[in-house]
Amino acid sequence: MLQLLPQAIVDGILIGGIYITVAIGFSLAYGVMHVIDFAVGEWIMLGAFMGFYLNRWLGLEPILLFPVIFLSFFVVGLWIQPLIHRVLSGRRGNPVLMGLVFTFGLALMIRGIALTVFGFYSHSIPSSLAQGSLFFQVGPIFVTIPLIRLTGLGYAVLVTMGLYYILHRTDFGLAVRALAQHKEAAGLMGVNARRTGGHVYGLYTGISATTGALIGCIFSISAQMGPDYTIFAFFVVVLAGMGYLPGVPWAAFLLGFVQSFFLIYLSPSYTMLAVFAALYLILLISPKGIFGKGV
Amino acid sequence: MGRKFYASISVVVLLFLVVPLVVHDTFYLRVITEAIMWIGLAVTWDVLAGYTGYLNFGHGAFFGIGAYTTAILMVHKGWPFFAASIAGGAMAGLGALIAGIPTLRLRGAYFAIATWALARAIQQLALILDITGGPDGMRLPPFLQPGFFFYVMGGTVLIIFIVFWYLFEVHPFGLKVKAIRENEDGAMAMGLNPARIKIKVFIISAVPTGIIGGIYAYWITYIDPSSTLGDLVTDQAVVMAVFGGLGTLIGPAIGALIISTFKTYFWAYLSDYQVLYLIILGGLIALSVVFMPDGLWGTVYGKIQNARLAGSKEKR
Amino acid sequence: MKRVFTVGLCIFGMLLGPLFGLAYGDEGRNYFKVGVITSLSGDLATGGNVTKRGYDLWAQEVNRLGGIEIDGKKYPVKLVYADAQSEPSAGASAAERLATQEKVDFILGPYSSGVTLACAPVLEKYKIPMITGSAESPIIWKQKFRYTFGTIPPVNYTGSTPMKTLASLTPPPKTAIILGSNDAFSKATAEAFKASAEALGIKILKYDIVPQGQDLTPYMAVAKATRPDIIAFGGHDEELINLVKALRQINYTPKALLMHYGVTEPAFVEALGKDAEGVFGATVWTSTIPTHGEVLWPDAKSYAEAALKAFNVPADYTQAGSSAAGIAFQVALAQIKATPPLSPEEREALVEALEKINIRTFYGTVNFATEGQYYHANVGLTPLTVQIQNGHTAIVGPPEYAESPAIYPMKPWNQR
Repeated sequence: MLQLLPQAIVDGILIGGIYITVAIGFSLAYGVMHVIDFAVGEWIMLGAFMGFYLNRWLGLEPILLFPVIFLSFFVVGLWIQPLIHRVLSGRRGNPVLMGLVFTFGLALMIRGIALTVFGFYSHSIPSSLAQGSLFFQVGPIFVTIPLIRLTGLGYAVLVTMGLYYILHRTDFGLAVRALAQHKEAAGLMGVNARRTGGHVYGLYTGISATTGALIGCIFSISAQMGPDYTIFAFFVVVLAGMGYLPGVPWAAFLLGFVQSFFLIYLSPSYTMLAVFAALYLILLISPKGIFGKGV
Repeated sequence: MGRKFYASISVVVLLFLVVPLVVHDTFYLRVITEAIMWIGLAVTWDVLAGYTGYLNFGHGAFFGIGAYTTAILMVHKGWPFFAASIAGGAMAGLGALIAGIPTLRLRGAYFAIATWALARAIQQLALILDITGGPDGMRLPPFLQPGFFFYVMGGTVLIIFIVFWYLFEVHPFGLKVKAIRENEDGAMAMGLNPARIKIKVFIISAVPTGIIGGIYAYWITYIDPSSTLGDLVTDQAVVMAVFGGLGTLIGPAIGALIISTFKTYFWAYLSDYQVLYLIILGGLIALSVVFMPDGLWGTVYGKIQNARLAGSKEKR
Repeated sequence: MKRVFTVGLCIFGMLLGPLFGLAYGDEGRNYFKVGVITSLSGDLATGGNVTKRGYDLWAQEVNRLGGIEIDGKKYPVKLVYADAQSEPSAGASAAERLATQEKVDFILGPYSSGVTLACAPVLEKYKIPMITGSAESPIIWKQKFRYTFGTIPPVNYTGSTPMKTLASLTPPPKTAIILGSNDAFSKATAEAFKASAEALGIKILKYDIVPQGQDLTPYMAVAKATRPDIIAFGGHDEELINLVKALRQINYTPKALLMHYGVTEPAFVEALGKDAEGVFGATVWTSTIPTHGEVLWPDAKSYAEAALKAFNVPADYTQAGSSAAGIAFQVALAQIKATPPLSPEEREALVEALEKINIRTFYGTVNFATEGQYYHANVGLTPLTVQIQNGHTAIVGPPEYAESPAIYPMKPWNQR
């Protein structure tokens, strides 16, 4: 089965690509606002359904719908953020818990509404990209790269680079980094914490929602899909070190590799056990993520 | 420990003994037993979260460990129920010791997510192993006496409550624990050993949870990984504790009672509006965090205190 | 310390509050009170709502005709719902409530084996018969509950037929990869596929139980390398859709792709479009099966039409099985001439009548086994092999039921 080694590596990278987009917005939001957002998966689910219905009504290729989805959910994020800000800046001692419980409630609400509106059935977003794949063969060794997953990886790279550019080359990015480092000092330097926080949260909801549309092209979607993705977003972000953006891709690839190698070479039944155990062990050895740079 | 404390305890005990005599309806007895179970789970979660500030998102795993240990000992080894459920509590405590030594070094969000990962890993393990029956779960010998389970569950939770009350509100141990919550480094400077104390609290929180899990298994007669080791147990305990008010023993108990009662009535009599339940519960939680960050009990109690203060000022 | 006292009182006040509430006295009613336990919320809500539609349709039809005819007099039925929330503990509470508060005459049972296993002991205690229309896991019937019956045969009864159908095709498939998702139903399905493949001499290249919701693309890379003739998968609808999409994406077409009942769900064809074409499945009922009903609907077609008219959703075999559960009760009641409310002796007689029942319905023959591993499961039906052809499920086996020949081998993805 050694002939499958290149395939296992490629699959690990491609699965990792999906996890990058699932987690990177969340990591950004955590870095700035310190909110553990239980609703990550729900934004992904809502984005997926927006993609599904827009595709059905307009018949456009789902990838082309990404800007619309991103903008719509950017606005939703702007609108939600003041509430979260209020919860986090309350006088009560444990803002982490308060933020977590608030978004947990929000997630339940969104799921309830989605079940009412979209129903219980599974759907899938048709994409012409999901039809094709690249195929390379050298002797007995072959590698298949599904086009849609390659697109997903491409999108992940795009989002990562985009965020890097925004954070390190714009004034807005400077403000965001200042906020992440020291909230009060940044405020004294003239950073409007509420507005910047709102934009960051908007970026996060926007990225998560477009990720949902992408996931709808690759997998099936349903109104109950949210928590599955919330878990992976959490795990990637914790592995990376909470709020440490450059760690996200590596953590995502690591999770991807664990899955592809267990499925191909080891025992598939143990795949999820291995993922959770790996996370646990890494946290034991390096409590602040694989790079030790989390906040 | 004034006379009033003993008086109130004896009133509670008396009421508790009387309930099955008044309630002949076995469904209500079940509902009450379930509410009591949730009180136990919310309170045991809160002693770690509220008193030390560590959010354990793997609380359900201790419940599940207790349930599975009880089931395995009763079904495969023929143990009697009481011995098996106590063994379940011991296993949960052991689990907390093993899990706690490394994880309690982590702070805040890391601890929350590490414990969640651990809970998921245990669920996966139960799905794979043969002794747990995998996804098929386990059946226990049915013993369908709602009154019996009411007494066992109620007695257990009452004992837990009294012991916790003593440990955390009366005994100096409680002060040490609170010192760690307020400032871990400061507590260390005062000569406390936070690592030791945290482990103790973690075990104190896990053992009764395991026992409750064991009682649950025998009561419901059927356990499987998705219902017993899923996120639901933890999620509900957290929501109840936060809604009621963290860092107290009474707050989570009230939260558990209200949410559990609401849930039962909603399901029993409004089944046609099932999806609404998620929306209402979610909205309730989100709003309570925004408008009552101290929880229901904290807010009400705070109001009373303020009124008292204002009153005494006026007199002066 | 005063607050402890007050709070203690409050807590017990709340606990006692409900006790002085409702009491149900309905002695001497002239209708049948039927409990319905099903999961209307939670993870299993999709299936739970399907069973609810099946039970509702039965009740509507019975009442439209004036009720269940007992000795010339007609008694309508009234359904009382209890949501099991996809949780065994809630299912047990629901059973307790229906048995003690509502005092129902009999119960139409839950979706999923977990909830059924928690409800059944409670109903044994109160001696109330239950027929479930949709619990398919073999473990229920191994428990030998006296009061629990099922109209849907367990998957180990239905799972062998599609393998036999596949083995009869030319060129006969020689190799297979079999996998199942790690939940009770899917695992049992995969085990049934495996056992029948082994019996038929099909070589199993790989057999695995995978975690629920797992991305199976890397696993399918193994399939692409070993090129099995059959890929057989036990799972629920979203997992089935994921698997087909994964195979489509890596562009590997096995000669036959076999799943279980999930392919008959409208969502499967709707989500996958032309990629659903040619996928095999197993079922015991489709809207085109030639059955003759003695009670209520005369055949499968008329049932399907009635269902579509009532709910605007096509009926699947779970819904049909749920309606058939109602019919089984109705026939048994007429046989023992029991009038509502049922006394404990009448309920006992009802169980005995159900054990002997052998009735032809729109759903097929209902005949509960009284011994062996299928104890109290319906063994009167013929398991069918179906295939998605032109967006519809067509019966392709066994030969006496086949509506059209199986399309085999499967058309490659990129030629569609």
